Amino acid sequence: MAATWKLEFPYRRSVGPVIGEFLGGLRDRKVFGAPTPSGRVLVPPLEYDPDTGDAVGELREVGQAGVVEGYAWVPRPESNAPLDRPFAYALVRLDGADTAMLHALDAGSPDAVTPGMRVRIRWRAETTGHITDIECFEPEPS
Amino acid sequence: MRDVAVVSFAQAPLEQPPGQTEAMMLLPVITEALEQARLDRRDIGFTCSGSADYLTGGAFTFVQMLEAAGAWPPIPESHVEMDGAWALYEAWVRIQHGDIDTALVYASGRADPEALREILCLQLDPYYLLPLWPDYRTMAALQAQAVLAATGRTEADLAAIAVRSRADAKANPNAVVAGDFSAETLLADDYVVAPLRPHDLPAIAHGAAAVVLAADEKARELSARPAWITGIDHRVDPQYPGVRDLATSPSARHAGEQAGVGKGPVEAAELAATSTAEELVLIDALGLDGDVAISPSGGGLVANPVMVTGLVRIGEAFRQVNAHGRARVVAHASSGPCLQQNLVCVLEDR
Amino acid sequence: MAGEPVQFMSQMVSIEYPAPEPTLVSRHFGEQLAAGRIVGHQCPRCGKVYVPPRGYCPVCVVPTTDADEVEVADRGTVTTFSVITPIQYQGQEETDDYVLATILLDGADMTVGQQRLDGIPIDDVHSGMRVEAVWAPEAERKGAAGPGPAGGLGGAVTGWRPTGEPDAPLDQYDEHIL
Repeated sequence: MAATWKLEFPYRRSVGPVIGEFLGGLRDRKVFGAPTPSGRVLVPPLEYDPDTGDAVGELREVGQAGVVEGYAWVPRPESNAPLDRPFAYALVRLDGADTAMLHALDAGSPDAVTPGMRVRIRWRAETTGHITDIECFEPEPS
Repeated sequence: MRDVAVVSFAQAPLEQPPGQTEAMMLLPVITEALEQARLDRRDIGFTCSGSADYLTGGAFTFVQMLEAAGAWPPIPESHVEMDGAWALYEAWVRIQHGDIDTALVYASGRADPEALREILCLQLDPYYLLPLWPDYRTMAALQAQAVLAATGRTEADLAAIAVRSRADAKANPNAVVAGDFSAETLLADDYVVAPLRPHDLPAIAHGAAAVVLAADEKARELSARPAWITGIDHRVDPQYPGVRDLATSPSARHAGEQAGVGKGPVEAAELAATSTAEELVLIDALGLDGDVAISPSGGGLVANPVMVTGLVRIGEAFRQVNAHGRARVVAHASSGPCLQQNLVCVLEDR
Repeated sequence: MAGEPVQFMSQMVSIEYPAPEPTLVSRHFGEQLAAGRIVGHQCPRCGKVYVPPRGYCPVCVVPTTDADEVEVADRGTVTTFSVITPIQYQGQEETDDYVLATILLDGADMTVGQQRLDGIPIDDVHSGMRVEAVWAPEAERKGAAGPGPAGGLGGAVTGWRPTGEPDAPLDQYDEHIL
């Protein structure tokens, strides 16, 4: 095995009020979205509407389940992947949101992932206020 | 606006002598680009480079690269932590100030494919995406799935792009992968990240390239057939993939419109597509019809020297004008996942 | 606390790179070091000597090779120095104040930086000091020197000690401070 070396940065990022409120919501097992003056609800929240530059309004709660709008099946996950077994990265538009969140989808097999399928959040046992408080999405039982 | 042209282009050969530093690889490339333009280093009015220190993890690596350009006595120079195509844009802007007539643009990079997967994650949203480590193959796959779903194209269509690129690459000494392949053979491979297979993803390479720009009469003095930049523009889409329609690239479309792609017939387009699906997005965004020769060099799929690929597209487009006699060619560079940021340049023979 | 916004997010970004291969130039430099010699490359155009050799002259921008190799003395002049008070960041190994010196070796046109001075009280360090290499025992010298500690010399030279000579006059090194 070839010799390697590691470059490490122990980041401590300030998250600001908008992302901070969203992450606080995750800690409390709630998902917040950011409404824009143009009428869209951005989930996860961005601080400004990317189309108009307007600051977003007060965050409001959105659903914890939604629709798969895009996906990519990973047959051989890398060591830093969110799941340690084959899974899909998926773009999930939660109920009440107008944009999709990119996260992991634990569907079991690539055939179980279909466009438009409904999925729900699987919360981590211990939540800390981090995007990985959502352990992954899983198919919603029909 | 001053008329600015590309007057020379040089690229490091794929076969490099062993045991070199990156600066040693870059030095003869810059020398060659200058010799083609019949210029001495001291004649250059402005120098701009593109690279990413993260590729090898060495802080301020780009400062060491400056030694290959020759920076004593001190020279006016600048640098972008980006593909060299953006260094070219900065040099083009600098020439517009009117006080200098020539610029040297160069780019280099020695990316390790394993480390690259992690490195390119660092350009993603640090709060929402980086902790999930969706690497560049995953991002390309998400875009590919969106493109196939939106257009009805198939994985076989993607394979056909790979087949064509590799066949064209036979004439390109800088191609990492070239030859006659059958789509059936390529499609028999396992997915890397579905729906993409190895042939849908770029061949990562080490590389270095240099281009000389010159303005007005200076360009005619330095090259028998300069490639005039009649339009150049770059735009960026929102960074979070969930707010974008990944089947499209509005920034590529907008940059193409601002660069004036549609103002005349396009004979060839060198696209820095680093997945087969990206080519489909770009052809649509730039409004390229079936008469356009797409990436005659083989494009970014057959050789992706990270941070150099876009500058090479401009260089290859220059060759299409300068050496192959084409009248009007488009060059494209991109940055970020899923064609998030795009630079489009129109080169013409005048 | 429930309902409170999060303020900070910790993230360890860790990237693994292949270890850089020593270049031919640095490998040869390391071999000479192991044999107790400090070598550089002399530019065939301007005659400047670079230690450690880079494989090119950065002023003339021409390649240099083994054919351009010259030996320089293992003694020289301290041109400048810094007194470092180590901040205890994660991974820091130093605890006490120490000096890093830049040395112009006799015969070289470029200085070597980041050199440790052996047994010289910090207050005695000054520009113009004449110093000589303290060589590690031959068996302990590491071979290939690449981008490494002490400007590549750290594999074989453990530090620099005063020679006892009078200070070099400023005009002998004022063009070569850094």
